[in-house]
Amino acid sequence: MDWQREKRTFDEAFEASGGARPHYKTVLSILQAFSGPEIERRERLQKLSLLNQGITFTVYGEKDGIERVWPFDFVPRIIPAAEWKRIEAGLVQRITALGLFLLDIYGEQKCLTDGILPAPLVYSRREYKRELLGVVPPRGIFTHIVGTDIIRDDAGEYLVLEDNCRCPSGVSYVLENRNLLQRVFPELFAAYPVQPVKDYPDLLLQTLQHVASRMSQKPVIVILTPGLYNSAYFEHSFLAREMGVFLVEGHDLIVEDNHVFMRTTQGKQRVDVIYRRIDDEYLDPLAFRRDSILGVPGLVNAYRDGHVALANAPGAGVADDKSIYAFIPALIRYYLGEDARLPQVPTYLGFRKPDLAYILEHLDSLVVKTTGDSGGYGMLMGPFATKKEIEAFRDKVRRNPSNYIAQPLVNLSAHATYTDGRFEPRRIDLRPFVLYGDKIRVLPGGLTRVALRPGSYVVNSSQGGGSKDTWVLAPRDS
Amino acid sequence: MLSRVANALYWMGRYLERAENLTRCLLVTEELSTEIHAFNEKLAQTEWADLGAIFPGELDGTSDLDHLRGFLAGPRNPYSILSSLGKARDNARAVREALSVEVFVTLNETYRALEAQASGAPADRPDIRSALSATHTGLLSIVGAVEHTLSRDQGWLFLKLGESLERVYRTAAILRAKVPGLMAPPPDTDIPLYHVQWRSLLRSLSSLENYRKLHGARLEPTAAIEFMLFDPHAPRSIRFGAAAVKAHLEEISGTRELTVPARIVGRLHARLCYHDGGPALPLLDDVQVELGRTHDALDLLYFGT
Repeated sequence: MDWQREKRTFDEAFEASGGARPHYKTVLSILQAFSGPEIERRERLQKLSLLNQGITFTVYGEKDGIERVWPFDFVPRIIPAAEWKRIEAGLVQRITALGLFLLDIYGEQKCLTDGILPAPLVYSRREYKRELLGVVPPRGIFTHIVGTDIIRDDAGEYLVLEDNCRCPSGVSYVLENRNLLQRVFPELFAAYPVQPVKDYPDLLLQTLQHVASRMSQKPVIVILTPGLYNSAYFEHSFLAREMGVFLVEGHDLIVEDNHVFMRTTQGKQRVDVIYRRIDDEYLDPLAFRRDSILGVPGLVNAYRDGHVALANAPGAGVADDKSIYAFIPALIRYYLGEDARLPQVPTYLGFRKPDLAYILEHLDSLVVKTTGDSGGYGMLMGPFATKKEIEAFRDKVRRNPSNYIAQPLVNLSAHATYTDGRFEPRRIDLRPFVLYGDKIRVLPGGLTRVALRPGSYVVNSSQGGGSKDTWVLAPRDS
Repeated sequence: MLSRVANALYWMGRYLERAENLTRCLLVTEELSTEIHAFNEKLAQTEWADLGAIFPGELDGTSDLDHLRGFLAGPRNPYSILSSLGKARDNARAVREALSVEVFVTLNETYRALEAQASGAPADRPDIRSALSATHTGLLSIVGAVEHTLSRDQGWLFLKLGESLERVYRTAAILRAKVPGLMAPPPDTDIPLYHVQWRSLLRSLSSLENYRKLHGARLEPTAAIEFMLFDPHAPRSIRFGAAAVKAHLEEISGTRELTVPARIVGRLHARLCYHDGGPALPLLDDVQVELGRTHDALDLLYFGT
């Protein structure tokens, strides 16, 4: 079997000199021992297993077959214990600071008075909800579930690319990827102490129970989904089943006297905690977008009165705005008196005059993003764009500079990936999942997404990305 | 439980039962039409027309093969097996969290296999037969998974309610379509054919063996009709089915006063229990009407749609 190495960027599996990195040696030699036809056979088993189990996601805007099988690559991504320890500590620090930041800007706003970041910037963010100024969520927690995207630069340094404090998705695939790899390539697990991930649903349930207001009785917890046609519907239903909680749609819920109930075959039943997988904008037509038919009228008032907990809390999305991102190292220093343990990508802000000039001058070498979007939508990859695309983007940035930020292109690390009978390097990122309950916990590993097209940087599943099982190794006893 | 979830489970039960009924009827009709084609082509055509009355939809084409393909997976037939299985699966997907992995996976596998068959090269009769058999086995596995892995909670009751209501409704429809043509015995020369038809009817209701246990090999039209209508033990008799619908509705409402749908189906059941003679056809018509009313009443009461 043929293994190609990546020379232009950091290769996860191979040293620059060409040999396998120590923690990859065993897995590579196990895979090496398989014949081509045997690997093909296992690939087929894997695809069949995904199809039969209905592990799928939905792609928007496609006529037929909108339900697609989750693309999975069986070569696992391995993170040694010591590296993970650093990532984990960095994430705990970062999420702690983000939590304090959210409490602050919806409360006393000290960070604004102290000039850590400009008030107009915060107020102008679409995700900043003025309506919720002064509302403290149950137990002061805004971000119960965060998915932070991490990439590696040419030197192999882990960098935070963005935080997802709204409705990060992908954790169901972390669990299913592990199941799948254990079934199809059980041999790989014999040689490695891989930290388990399957307790995630338990931890998530504890996290949600932690914010229930009626502690005396068994709290009723639900997942609120936009419905079957949402791209992450599989995950909503998966998590509801794994936790044994109700999966509800907006019209299953009603608000009376600022309490939330669900419509059941035996009348109304009170709801305590809603893990909502609907964006703020659509949550409540009375509070936010009036045309939303996905949400529940009156929900935000019930939340404001403390009769229901929402995870994540409305308004939390402002923390993952891409221009707020630029201030996070400063916010960590401000709230915790520490330097950020995990570095992040240098960011130029459209609303700052000198930065804007720099952005407009260097559009062809920068990655330009809109501040409020996620999922890889609405961005310009300067180094790969045509002249025409760059000029079109220049106009957009000029018209509304504060809606844009720019970053140098970070190369993303590459990882051996099986394609058409060969192992070739493909670019990857990492989304660890962080739960904030009685304390902050990080699920070991997370979702490794891989850009399946050669040379591509786009890892989003909606745009041709796949995923890998991600192993965090337990510290060896020695 | 959530009204929406109860509604989806109820329809999942109905569609699964509908798919199973049509699969069985198709297997029987395919065999019968092969057997009698050379004797009596007109009768063979009538069999297909009857099937089209039981599972209403356009008949695709004119040949036996066209009909088979149409009922199996015809894109214009809303009652085709593929369409019913697909709707059962859509409902299951919408409430996957309320089902066990086994139930969803067996349903998904059965659907995927039939879908692959239908989207592949045009099938000949042996292909269709094997697809029908495989689908039938798959459908029985789903029922097995439901039986062995689902908790006996409200969700299970709504699923079984849909299944039992669909079953008794469809049985009534089958009898209503077939019985008029089979009441009067034909001239002596056609007696063997007549018996083939009766045997097929009982087989299409999965009841041939059960009938024989009670009445022996001799097919007596009056005894067969009585059996299908009133036998208290045969799982596909009308009386048994009405009892099942009644039992599920009563269990769903718990100890409270009888609900409207439970009363409607309870009266129907009593009528079947105490029936003493009289023509079968008006009774079959009433059964279908009362079941329609039961559905409307439970839809209003539990699903609020």
